[in-house]
Order: sequence, then C-alpha cells, then structure tokens
Amino acid sequence: MTGALRAEWLKLRTARLPWGLLAVALALAGVHAVLFDSNAGGTGHTSIESLATYTGQRQAITMPVEVLLFVTVLGVIVASGEFRHGTATNTYLSIPNRIRVLAAKSIAAGTVGALFGLAGAGLTTAIGLSFIVGGGHDVLLSAATIARYAVGATIAAGALAAAGVGLGSLVRSQVAATIAVFVWGLVIEQTIGGLYETAQRYLPYTAAASLAGAKLEAGTTALPFLAAVTLIASAAMAISFVAARTTVTADVT
Amino acid sequence: MPAIEMRGLTKRFGHVTAVEDLSLDVQRGTVTGFLGPNGAGKTTALRMLLGLVEPTAGTATIDGRPYRDLADPLRRVGAVLEASSFYPGRTARNHLRVQAAAGGFDAARIDVVLELVGLGPAADRRVGGFSLGMRQRLALATALLGDPEVLILDEPANGLDPEGVRWLRQLLRAFADDGGTVLVSSHVLAEVAQTVDRVVILHRGRLVADAPLEQLAATAGTRPVVRIRTSRAEDLRAAAAAEGAQARVDGLDGVQVVGLTPERVGQIAADRAIPIFESVAEVADLEDVFLQLTSSQEAVP
Repeated sequence: MTGALRAEWLKLRTARLPWGLLAVALALAGVHAVLFDSNAGGTGHTSIESLATYTGQRQAITMPVEVLLFVTVLGVIVASGEFRHGTATNTYLSIPNRIRVLAAKSIAAGTVGALFGLAGAGLTTAIGLSFIVGGGHDVLLSAATIARYAVGATIAAGALAAAGVGLGSLVRSQVAATIAVFVWGLVIEQTIGGLYETAQRYLPYTAAASLAGAKLEAGTTALPFLAAVTLIASAAMAISFVAARTTVTADVT
Repeated sequence: MPAIEMRGLTKRFGHVTAVEDLSLDVQRGTVTGFLGPNGAGKTTALRMLLGLVEPTAGTATIDGRPYRDLADPLRRVGAVLEASSFYPGRTARNHLRVQAAAGGFDAARIDVVLELVGLGPAADRRVGGFSLGMRQRLALATALLGDPEVLILDEPANGLDPEGVRWLRQLLRAFADDGGTVLVSSHVLAEVAQTVDRVVILHRGRLVADAPLEQLAATAGTRPVVRIRTSRAEDLRAAAAAEGAQARVDGLDGVQVVGLTPERVGQIAADRAIPIFESVAEVADLEDVFLQLTSSQEAVP
C-alpha cells in the first residue's frame, strides 16, 4: 500500500492540472468572498446580510459551494485521467491489485481535496474577517465556530474528492464524469432540495456545504456535524464500492 | 518450466472472438517473435498474459503464476504495451519516478535506464513534446526499470528510426543472451527476423505457426512461389486454390501462388483461357511464408 500511495502522491505532485484547479478554486473563493462581503446589507443576488449581524458574519466566512464541486472534479481527474491518457496500463502493471490502487487514489485525492478545502476556508475566512473588522464591526462569531466551519470545509472537501475518485473509476470518461458532478451539484440537488425541503439536508453536496457553514433554505436545519460527515463519507464509500465491484475490475483494453 | 505459458487462452468480446484456444510456451533465455497482422489478437493475448484483460477461457502464466499473483511483478516482468501511455505534462524523469515509487525501486535506477535508452538529455522534458520514437524509448525504460527477467513487448519498434530498430535488436539479443526471456510482437516479420529464436504466428486469433526460426526458414526454402500478372487475377487465384495451392491476389493484376510449379500454374491459366502478361518463379522467403500463413486459415505443422 505504501508504494501505491507514494506513486499516487507523486502523480498528483508532478501533474499540472490539480494545481491549476486549486488556483481556479481559490480565485473563485476569493472573488466570491470580495463580491458578497462588499455588498453586505445590500440587495440582489450578490449580497449577504449586514456584517453587523451574526448571520451576515457567518455568510461572510463561508467557503462557496463551488469549491466543493472543484474538489470533486479533482477526484474524478485522478481516476479517469488514467484512462484518458492510457496510463492505467502502467498503473495496473505495477500494482495489479486494482482495489489497492483505488484505495490509494482515494486517500491521495482525499488528502489533497482536504487541503483545497482548508485553503478555501482559510482564504474566505481571512477576507470575511477583513471586511468585518474593516467595517468597524465587532466579531460576533466565536473562534470555535470559525474553526468548526474550517474543519467542516476541510473534511467535506476531502470526502468529496474521494467520492470523485469513485465516480471517475465508475465512469471512465473524464468529460462525462465531470459533467455529472456539475449536473448533480448544481441541478439535481437544487431541484430535489427545492421540491422536498425535508430531504434537502440529506443530500451529499448540501450536507457538505452546510458543514462548511452554508445556510440552507429557510425552515431547514443542517445535519449535525458528525451526521453530515458520516453521510458524505458513506456516499463516497458507496460510489467506490460500486466502482470496485464493476468497472475497476473490468478489462483494460 | 517455461518462463511463459498459455493454455487454451480464449477471449471473446461479445460475438467477436479475438483470441481462440491459444497455447504456447516461451522458454527462458530466448527471444520469441509473436507475429500476426493487425487485428490478429496479439495485443489481446499479451494483455491477458499481463492480467489486464480477463480471459473468457484458458490460462496464461509467467513463472507458473498468473501475473496478478506475482509477488513483485515489475522485478519479474517488464512490459511495453503502448507508446502513448504517458501523462503528457509529466517529464520523462517524473514518469519513471512514479513507476519507481510504485515498484519500490531505488531512484538511482532511473538515470541508469534513461541513459540505457538514450533519453538522458531529454530526462527533464515533458513527454507531451516527445516524438513517437522517444515515447517508445521511454516505454522501454519503464519496462527495464525493475531489471526484470522477462520482457513482454507489443510492437516496440513502432516509431523507431532505422538506427533505433537496430539498437532495439541488439538490446533484446543481449537481454536474452544474459538469460532473460523476451516475447516481442510485431506485424512485420522482417522487423524481428534478425533477433528471434522462435516464431509464433497468430492469425484471426488462432495459432497458425509455432516453430524455431530455422525451421520456418527451411520450410520457406522448399516452397516455390510463382508471381503472375493477369487481367483475371481473381479467376486465377481461385483456380490455383482449387488445385491445393496457397494463392492470393496481390494488387490490381497480380497473383501469388505458393506450392505449384510455374509450369502447372501456366497450364491452369491456359486451360481456363486466362491471359498471362508476366510470370516470375521464385523460392519463397520468410516474408512470403508469413504472408501466406496470415492470408489463409491453414495451419502448418
């Protein structure tokens, strides 16, 4: 397992795409934070509540959900990229136990995904606190609350990256798997959540976003921290299990 | 025990049979040519041998074990299956670092194999900018990284320039002379004829020849070949085939007949009023035998 993990970690370090994704995700988080925090207390789509309020401060430090979509795509790329570039052949020749390869990829992508989440949360928090303090407001959020959201974003991003590995292994086409991530996160969950408010908090992306501090629809409470972590981790494991039983062991032609 | 054994190896993709009932042994310290035209099933057979494709039936083993069960596969077997199996943004050195990490090899081995394949100066260039020949060399470096006992190479000469092909021949010969075992596929017999000890020929998924190169060459030397130019090539081919010869249409107006004398071919044409513009009698060479074997279903002993 050590060799498989070292190889996967080296693959991530020596490829440009993951770090390009990180840069885009962080830029997105930064622009999003500046745009919304500077419109705090205003009206329209790019505004949040006043930074003088607890809710406004919470919104200001919350990492945008799009970052979570990017980390899932990172996981997809880690797995499906092997088939896009034909490197799966070398990977499976060096480590014929494909379940071990899947596990190593999940751990490596999960670790980098968690770092994405931590960096995104750190950047958003720094920008949010700058606007709060710069606007002359007292910081109403406790250090524990801020830390909870940062830890939530880190865990959520790590688990979603691992889920992305499962999805990329299940759907070997990188384009199809990437489209599936965005359709699921931006269309399917939004639709289900809109139609069935009580089900909203049990949806994986919504649960991940709430872990990072995102506010759900009015009248809907987020899952407790541990329940949300368990839900996302279970979703990641379920996808990987299906992949392990089907496409992972399929012929590499 | 042979280094490589295939027994009744069969692979079907839906209704298409890619490999059928293939059995062969590859002895240690030899270079075996695994030949056949494109689509003959060579790559599928090699992928089954390497555990990448699940056989529909039969077994394929290396040192008596399926590849997936080998304790330290990269130290036992080095394989080149396709020259495009690289992440284009990664440098040659980093590609090998990944393989070394997976196989648990000393990183010092990376420079050794890069120099061995002549890629030392290009070690820190991204693979995306490599020519096909350079990618083949990197694929060979990958195969040699674990200093294996067995080399399994699928069309390794594709993309190599003449100097590269000669270098490859010398490398494979030296590898076998040091006790290593090589199974190398090609769709061109001439590409491997100077290197191999034994030839295995596959056609439409089935074994059509498995013999030492000398035996195949001896078979070739005893077979007359008559090349005819005629305006009724297909008619002459059918007539010659009906007489028990191996015959095939060659180009627009050519027919190649193996196994009949020039006189007999001339008589067949005369009996059917088939005009002959040119007739050349030769002794078959290895390439003719290969082409004959792979243009019919007939197996030779």
